[in-house]
Amino acid sequence: MIERRKEEFEATCKLFIDSVSNYFKVLTEINSEMGIPYLKNAEEITLKDYTGMIGISGNRKGFVYISADKTMFEDLIYIFIGIENPSNADILDMAGEISNVVAGNVRANLGANFMISVPIVFRGKPEELKFPKNVSIYVIPLKWNKHEAFVVVGLE
Amino acid sequence: MIKLLIVDDSSIMRRTIEKNLGHFDLEIVGTASTGVEALEVVKKEKPDIITLDITMPEMDGITCLDNIMKIHPEAKVMIITALSDKLTGLQALDKGARGFLYKPVNSQSLTKAFDKLLKRNTAK
Repeated sequence: MIERRKEEFEATCKLFIDSVSNYFKVLTEINSEMGIPYLKNAEEITLKDYTGMIGISGNRKGFVYISADKTMFEDLIYIFIGIENPSNADILDMAGEISNVVAGNVRANLGANFMISVPIVFRGKPEELKFPKNVSIYVIPLKWNKHEAFVVVGLE
Repeated sequence: MIKLLIVDDSSIMRRTIEKNLGHFDLEIVGTASTGVEALEVVKKEKPDIITLDITMPEMDGITCLDNIMKIHPEAKVMIITALSDKLTGLQALDKGARGFLYKPVNSQSLTKAFDKLLKRNTAK
């Protein structure tokens, strides 16, 4: 039973990896590289400069977030709309949009019962940020255009 | 000129759509970040074409689409969403959307979808 759940969880992580890869490939024509996923405890979670997080409900419960340095979001914004010095609001918006697309695309495989929230976006690590304790958390390291980022998937 | 309304809760996405549709002969009569804001623009401007996101705060795109069809049924609504399951697409088409695009959308996919939508528009 535990083995089956582990396989199911890893298959779900694979969907997120494919979704992130597709995002960068389609929109930037620069491929991303994914590192080997590893498990983390909620207390040890790493956050970079800016984060876009999506709550997951329906037949799966948990969250997914993408956290990266400011420069990665700046590069994406420049590619998309040609702005060189985006505002803080633009960077937060970019973090939210990428997490929304990555989570939403997973529904192609998991169906409409994999429900996603609107993005929650933040800078740094807000003190009030608490991760649920009953979720398994996988961290997937990501490299794109010389930037390092994390895709973090936490599911019950 | 054909009047366009862009609805998406992401400001980057609204500007990306605007930039990528710049070569079409369209007048952007408004942009909106929620379904509620979108309905205000629809009532006032009666846009010919609306790009509509689904996952938005306050009022989601499917509810907004329902309301648009009541207020301004002639509007050609193109859904642009990250929700890439078949059910969502079918639900939107059933409620009156004329086109459907899955994010991530790039310049080519937007152009292709708008070419198709505008040809249909001209034909009617």
